[in-house]
Amino acid sequence: MKKVLTTCEFCGCGCNFYLGVEDNKVVAVYPCASHPVNQGRLCIKGWQGHDYIHSPERLTTPLIKQGDTFREASWEEAYRLIADRLRGIKEKYGSDSIAVFSSAKCTNEENYLLQKFARAVIGTNNVDHCARLCHASTIVGLMATFGSGAMTNSINEIGNAEVIFVIGSNTTEQHPLIASQIIKAVKGGSKLIVADPRKIQLARFASIHLSHKVGTDVALINGMLNVIISEGLLDKDFIENRTEDFDKLKEEVAKFTPQKSSQITGVPAEQIVEAARVFAKSRKSTIIYAMGITQHTTGVDNVMSCANLAMVTGNIGRESTGVDPLRGQNNVQGACDMGALPNVFPGYQAVTNDELRQNFERGWGVKLPSQPGLTTIEAVDKGLEGELKALYIMGENIMLSDPDVNHVEQALNSLDFLVVQDIFLTETARLADVVLPGVSFAEKDGTFTSTERRVQRVRRAIDPIGMSKPDCKVITELSSYLGYEMDYASPGEIMDEIARLTPIYGGISYSRLEDKGLQWPCPSPDHPGTSYLHKGQFSRAGGRGKFYAIPYRPPAELPDSNYPFALTTGRVGFHWHTGTMTRKDWVLDREYPRGYVEVNAQDATKLGIRNGMMVKVASRRGEISLQAKVVDTIQAGLLFIPFHFAEAAANKLTGANLDPVAKIPEYKVCAVKLERD
Amino acid sequence: MKTLDKTELSKFLEGLRADFRVITPLQEGEDLLFGEFDSSKLAVNFTGRPIIPPKEYLFPQQERLFTFTAEEGDRVEVKAYLNEEKQVIWGIRPCDLCGIKTLDSIFLSNYVDTYYQARRENTILMGLNCNQACETGFCNSLQTGPFAKDSFDLIFTDLANRYLVEVGSKAGEAMIARRANLFTEASDEDKGEANRLEEKSKQGFKPLFDMKGVDNKLAQAWDDRLWAEESDSCILCGGCNFVCPTCHCFNIEDIKAGRESERVRCWDSCQLGGFTQMAAENTRQTQGERLRQRIYHKFSYTPAKYDGAIGCSGCGRCIEVCPSNIDITHILERVIKR
Repeated sequence: MKKVLTTCEFCGCGCNFYLGVEDNKVVAVYPCASHPVNQGRLCIKGWQGHDYIHSPERLTTPLIKQGDTFREASWEEAYRLIADRLRGIKEKYGSDSIAVFSSAKCTNEENYLLQKFARAVIGTNNVDHCARLCHASTIVGLMATFGSGAMTNSINEIGNAEVIFVIGSNTTEQHPLIASQIIKAVKGGSKLIVADPRKIQLARFASIHLSHKVGTDVALINGMLNVIISEGLLDKDFIENRTEDFDKLKEEVAKFTPQKSSQITGVPAEQIVEAARVFAKSRKSTIIYAMGITQHTTGVDNVMSCANLAMVTGNIGRESTGVDPLRGQNNVQGACDMGALPNVFPGYQAVTNDELRQNFERGWGVKLPSQPGLTTIEAVDKGLEGELKALYIMGENIMLSDPDVNHVEQALNSLDFLVVQDIFLTETARLADVVLPGVSFAEKDGTFTSTERRVQRVRRAIDPIGMSKPDCKVITELSSYLGYEMDYASPGEIMDEIARLTPIYGGISYSRLEDKGLQWPCPSPDHPGTSYLHKGQFSRAGGRGKFYAIPYRPPAELPDSNYPFALTTGRVGFHWHTGTMTRKDWVLDREYPRGYVEVNAQDATKLGIRNGMMVKVASRRGEISLQAKVVDTIQAGLLFIPFHFAEAAANKLTGANLDPVAKIPEYKVCAVKLERD
Repeated sequence: MKTLDKTELSKFLEGLRADFRVITPLQEGEDLLFGEFDSSKLAVNFTGRPIIPPKEYLFPQQERLFTFTAEEGDRVEVKAYLNEEKQVIWGIRPCDLCGIKTLDSIFLSNYVDTYYQARRENTILMGLNCNQACETGFCNSLQTGPFAKDSFDLIFTDLANRYLVEVGSKAGEAMIARRANLFTEASDEDKGEANRLEEKSKQGFKPLFDMKGVDNKLAQAWDDRLWAEESDSCILCGGCNFVCPTCHCFNIEDIKAGRESERVRCWDSCQLGGFTQMAAENTRQTQGERLRQRIYHKFSYTPAKYDGAIGCSGCGRCIEVCPSNIDITHILERVIKR
């Protein structure tokens, strides 16, 4: 049996394991005991989640739409068709009538090539990916406050924090090996504060559980800041020497007395006071957040509030402190780093900056567009309006993951041309004109960048299934049909080009990644990488952190008499996103075979709903039928639905109300009604 | 009793390859894993044990049992896959030898598992005693280590520049006979040295806890709140089962690809909610009940059902791989101290 060390393909923790291979088949998993994050441990997805690799449903040849069905085609025919259609649309409607969606499941090298394809080959900045749907608000919010949009500290520092404030992260389910660090800290005597409208597993061993109403995060944190400032628990030296605009913050949070904050959030005032004191009195306080903070119309505000809290107490720029946004996908950090975003080149270099753009023009040998492109949600809207003619999607299933999927379906059907590159015929791929078979992580070489900015190797364990090809190869071959040569002997050479053009990856090369990877920023070949950011000074221009005064704004769609419940969406630990991989796995599917809605026990009694009963949940945009799970761990008036299940798609219900800056949809709050089916 | 010069080990193992698949601990980067013998990676001076026990060479993580193909009419073509390849596993720690002994009791007694049997009957076990306590192991308390007393064909003890090699079976003796010229007769001094090493190794372990009467104590602990408390942080990874040398529960799935399907069995975990669902449902609805099952199965049911067989080998792997720091020794201590 061959054993190949690689990086897990599921979440952003970045665990390593060996895949055991026999007869070109993955038949075993061995956790990597020497890895700094997982240390020989794995979650159930890491142990048992890889069945999908050999699923008979894998795509094995290119497919071309013929009438209502697909026919198999050769790669050459598929490439020719795509090249002809894209060329025709570009000539007739211009480059910006085409958009490209990259993938946080794919490698850095693939993301780099796909954004290069959009910019250099098609000639548009219309490139984006699912980070828009998860951490767009983090990038905007932390860039503005700190100057870098990434997790500030490292995963294994969390275990040594004295106080851990988890807000909007169901860590045991979504980032199990980060939860492991939190549990280690708690068992070692550290204090845990959890803010979540559900009594999640972590809340069971929290010192304080703040059960605030969905969408009231700003009011909650402003209330804590009010206590910290009025009780003099702030770090005056830090504020004076390392930050700016503190007075503006002070003025705003003065309005948020614990009583006021309590009225808005529903959290008892004394709990807000206690949480503020506990957090502020420790010199090793860490903030951990995820989608509960970001997926709101106030996503950027929420993120900035977390930054305010860290800076006011001086809990940043040192070990076991900081603001740690937990990135969801295995490589969503990397896809952002690689510039699969409409406004920046790799390394967050603005497309509007002439000097930076010229650097890429020299590197790639073509003139590049200077106007920021469309975000995913905007691109879909433009598709429906008829302005966007063609869409090229690599490894995303927006028919389940975008909000308001009925709207997405109409938009995709309105396009002149849709290409989907995936490993399965997903709900999205079924609508495509051409489907190209990509490969799983086990069939390719490359790198993923984990949530702690750790760039790590992904190593090919088996040969591609059928005629499928690594996405890197597909992009370079298609590019050459469109008259632009991308010539790389191996993914390592792509990384060398990334390093030349991306200062934060400047010192990264495959030979240096062999061991445990490297954490960016890593600007030069002799740089050891960076375990925590903002030491001594912030990454922001001028080196100071910036406070923002954040007024409270309620969510865009609140319950009313027609839609009396608030719905919040999320995930379960056994499944991954739209379930295309995990629902094909025997154990993961067995544990959670179908969708469900969590209903508070009192609400259930009122409506005559019993545990396990089929119910109907409807919003202004759609309705679904699914099983009720009656629990006492969710607030009355609130429902929770995981979004993995196509037949009970939570995103038929959610709306596309966007954060005004980050353009992230408010998945975490919409108004619905609930009735027996 | 013989000795083998340490420098001759590779030669000995290499010599077996003509007739056997030879499995040994290998140094893969900084990690220790069992794998097919490769002299450049052979691990000999290691503390502890590879993270996955050698049971997977008898009971693989995933095993194809048979394929079945729909033929014309009602005919179904069935093809079984019994693995009867001859293999030698070298470097098995005493805890893992004990694990295999337990699996033998389970898979080869009342209901014989033909797949396990096919592999087991073609496997030679060569152990390696532990001169040093590992971090999480508690074999000393369970008397399953650090030196093996039985369940091996050969057992090796590291005497610095040579191994003391004891024979546990005729098959083991035959292994030595294949390359008799590499071995020399052991002296009393060699045996004395091994005894000293055993005593020294035992000193390195955590203080012994008394396992006598643990089954009675367990019988009284059924309704204790410790099960709910200890399992509260479990994140349902299944790791404690997957790394356990005695865990043997599996699930079966049929994978259909066109006309041909294959039946595969995979390691399962009693800590998961869907465990035993093929029999309608999991009767253990709470995590506390599932943790209790894991402990009772090891310390109560297995010994009762299989004539005193040891359900836990004390290897400590479940402690090491638990993301939530759930510690079986801590649980046992709570049970014993009740």
